[in-house]
This record gives sequence, structure tokens and C-alpha cells, in this order.
Amino acid sequence: MNLSFQEKSLWLRFVSLVAVFGFYFVTALPAHARDVMPQQVVLFMLVVVMLVITQVVGHIVIAIADRHTETDERDRLIELKGTRNAAYVLATGVFLALGTALLTDGNFAFTHVLLGFWVLAHLVEIGSQLFLYRRGA
Amino acid sequence: MGKSGRLITNDIRALRFHQGEMTQADLADRVGVTRQTVNAIEGNKYSPSLEVSFRIARVFDVPLERVFQYGED
Repeated sequence: MNLSFQEKSLWLRFVSLVAVFGFYFVTALPAHARDVMPQQVVLFMLVVVMLVITQVVGHIVIAIADRHTETDERDRLIELKGTRNAAYVLATGVFLALGTALLTDGNFAFTHVLLGFWVLAHLVEIGSQLFLYRRGA
Repeated sequence: MGKSGRLITNDIRALRFHQGEMTQADLADRVGVTRQTVNAIEGNKYSPSLEVSFRIARVFDVPLERVFQYGED
């Protein structure tokens, strides 16, 4: 499969998001309590740093291997469609998180529903773009 | 943007052939888009903006309707 720079970049973002936040949720959710614990805040900060490092290093490697990093109108259209799809998921997540806040005690469930939908929105954004690149536009 | 059951077709492949087998990459460079976008336009998967359409026609030195055709339902 002949992938453009944009597609390689999207796959990197997709895989790193799944890996890093997958690790976070698998670690944090079994230890749920009424409120978010300090160790979970530290874990969250660690995974964000891991995500940034993974994506920066990965993009440097991809850019060295594929120098065609320029974008055009089709790339911008695909990006806009991905962002639109992500906005629907994020809006749904915000309302579900508000409902969770009203129905549960503490901030753990609310925080993690919101964080989960933020991650899901990004995955939908990236997945939509990957689909559109494979389809043509 | 084009939808399924597209009415807009094009003769870019034939025009490239008559320009000494100009590659998609060459055309993309001259138009200012990526090779993947030229490939998508050529395969009728993506309808370019009017600006890009005119730039493609200018590269081949032909009128716009020689490059793109709008079919009937």
C-alpha cells in the first residue's frame, strides 16, 4: 500500500493514541474511586508526555523518509470532514459527561467519561480522514 | 465536491498521454497539488476547485471543457 505523508502521519497519531490512552484506561479504571486520585493525575500527565514524545519523534522519522509534506485543497477538505465528525462525538460526550456528573458522586466517572469521549473524538477524526484518503475524497 | 454517481468526468489521462506521457507527479508539481490529488481527480473520485481546474487546463493549454465534462442525469 502506497501511503502519502499525510496518511502515515494519521496512522502514527491513531496508533499512538490507542496505545497511550489504552494503557492509561487499562491502568486507571480498575482503581476507580469516588474521586480522581493523585496517582491517576500523575499517570495522566505521564501518558500525555509519552504521547507528545511518540508523535514528535514519529513525525520526524516520517518526514525524513517522505519529504512530500506539503498539503493542498483536498487534504484540507478531508481534514475538515474529519473535524466535523469528531465534533459530533465530542458534543455527545460532553452531554453524557454532564449526565454522569448529575447522576454519580465524585469526579472520577465524570472526568473519565469526558476524557474517554475526547479520545474517541480524536480517533473518529483520524479514522474518518484515513477512510477518505483511501476512498479518494 | 463530487458525490457518488458523479456527473463530472475528465480527460486528464488522455491529455497527459498527448503531452509525452507526462506523469501525475509532473502535473501535480505544475498545478500545485499533491500527486495523490491528481490521481483522485483522474479517477473521478474528487472534483477539484475551479481554481485548480483552470490551472490544469492551463498546463495542457486547452479550454476548461476539454479537460472536464459535465454529464447529464
